[in-house]
Amino acid sequence: MSYSTFNRKHFDSTKEPMFFGENVNVARYDQQKHPIFEKLIEKQLSFFWRPEEVDLSTDRKDFQRLEEHEQHIFLSNLKYQTLLDSVQGRSPNVALLPIVSLPELETWIETWSFSETIHSRSYTHIIRNIVNDPTKIFDDIVTNEEITKRADSVSKYYDRLIEMVSIYNTMGMGTFNIPGKGDIEISMPKLKKALYLTVASVNVLEAVRFYVSFACSFGFAERTLMEGNAKIIKLIARDEALHLTGTQHMLNLMASGKDDPEMAIIAEECKEEMRNIFVEAAEQEKDWATYLFKDGSMIGLNAQILGQYVEYITNVRMQAVGLETYFPTKHNPIPWINAWLVSDNVQVAPQEAEISSYLVGQTDNSLDDSDFDDFDL
Amino acid sequence: MTQTSMTSISKHALPETKDQVHRVLIGKKQILVTEEEPLLVQLERAGIHIEYQCREGYCSSCSVKLLWGHVSYPFEPLAWVQSGYMLACCAIVKSDIEIAFFD
Ligand code: FES
Ligand SMILES: [Fe+2]
Ligand SMILES: [Fe+2]
Repeated sequence: MSYSTFNRKHFDSTKEPMFFGENVNVARYDQQKHPIFEKLIEKQLSFFWRPEEVDLSTDRKDFQRLEEHEQHIFLSNLKYQTLLDSVQGRSPNVALLPIVSLPELETWIETWSFSETIHSRSYTHIIRNIVNDPTKIFDDIVTNEEITKRADSVSKYYDRLIEMVSIYNTMGMGTFNIPGKGDIEISMPKLKKALYLTVASVNVLEAVRFYVSFACSFGFAERTLMEGNAKIIKLIARDEALHLTGTQHMLNLMASGKDDPEMAIIAEECKEEMRNIFVEAAEQEKDWATYLFKDGSMIGLNAQILGQYVEYITNVRMQAVGLETYFPTKHNPIPWINAWLVSDNVQVAPQEAEISSYLVGQTDNSLDDSDFDDFDL
Repeated sequence: MTQTSMTSISKHALPETKDQVHRVLIGKKQILVTEEEPLLVQLERAGIHIEYQCREGYCSSCSVKLLWGHVSYPFEPLAWVQSGYMLACCAIVKSDIEIAFFD
C-alpha cells in the first residue's frame, strides 16, 4: 500500500482504527470516532501564545549576574529543551501523518506539532537575548555528549517507525534486505509494535524528560531571577501537559482494544518494554541532573532532590498509562513547583475561564434574550 | 461532543444537595467535604497536599485511587481517567468515599 494525500475510496472514517486503516481523505469533524482529539485541538488553540510577547530585558541583566555554574545550568537546560522540541516539532508529523486514519486525530497531530515549533522559536528568543553569539549554543547541541546521548534515546523509536513505514509504503509486506541495516521484517504486527513503542517513548519525552529543566527554571524564578524565562517555560509546560494527555489517550485507547483489537494484544506484549522506556528515561534524567550540578548547586535544588523529583514524576506518569509505579519515591520533594506548573487561567473568574476555552470567534449558543438587554438596538 | 454542550452540562449539573457533607477516608485520616467544590481544594484546606498541575482536568497529575464511593464531574475532563481512579482537581464527591495515593 502506498500513501495517498487524497484517498479516493468511499469509507466511513468512524469505523477506521486510529492508525494503519485507510489514509484520511476528507478533513471533516462533524462526525468523530474519538471526539477527545477534537477537544484537545480546541484546548491547544485556546492556549496559543507568541514568545515575543514575553519581555526578557531583565533576564539579560540577571543572566550576567548569575554565577558561572548557574549559567551552565541555565544554558544546558535550554540546549536540552531545544533538542527535545526540535524533535517534537517535526516527528509527530513525519512519523504519524502517513499512517493516521482519523481526521480529528490527524489534525490533533498537526496542531500538537505546530505548538512545538512555538517552543523552538521561544528558545531562540531566549538565547538571542542572553548571549551575543547564539551559534555557540546551538552548535553545542549536536556535539555535547551529554545531550547527544539523549538525542539517540528520544529519536530512535521515531526513526525506526519512519523507516518501517517507508518500506511498507514502497514494498508492502515481507522481509527486505536494507543495505547497512540487514533484514527488516515488515508485517502489520511489527508495524503496530513500532508504533506503540514510539507513542510510549513520546509520552515519556513529554511527561518526564522536560521536568528537570522546568524545575531549574522555576528554581531561578523563586529567587526572582530569569523571570521572563520562567513565564515562557510556564506556557511551554501548559502545552506539554496537554500533549502528554494526548499520548496517554492514544496509549490507553490502544491498550483497551476499543479502537483496534489487535493493538490490545500488542500493548500487552509491549508492557515490559514500555516500562523500560520509562525507567531508562528516568535514569538518564537523573544523570542529567548530576551533570547540571557538577560545578555547584542552586539554592533549593541539587542533584539528589532533582533525582527524587524525577522518580516521583515518573511514578505519576506510569500510573497514568496503567503501569505499576517503579520508584520508591512516593512524595514530591519540591511541592512548590506545582504552583508554577498550574495554568494561569485557573486564577481568573470562573466565567472567564469558561470563555477562554472557546475558539476565537465561536458563538455561544446558550445566549438568551437577557444577554442582549444592554444593547440599544 | 461540542464545547457548547460541555458548558451546558456544567450549568445543569448543579446539584440541589449542595450543603450535603461526605466523609473522605485517606489511610487513617478522615476529612469532611461538601459537594460545593472539587475534592482537591477541600483536601488542601484540610492540610492534605496532593499532586496537581493544571487543576482543570487535562493533565491527569491529580489522579488518585478511588477505592469505593461515588464522584461526578461537572464537566467531562480531557485527561484519561483510569478505571478505579479519579481526578481530584475536578471531581465532586457524591457519597462517602475512600481514596489512596500510590500503591
Ligand atoms: S491537576 Fe490536571 S487533571 Fe487534575
Ligand atoms: Fe514542546
Ligand atoms: Fe510537547
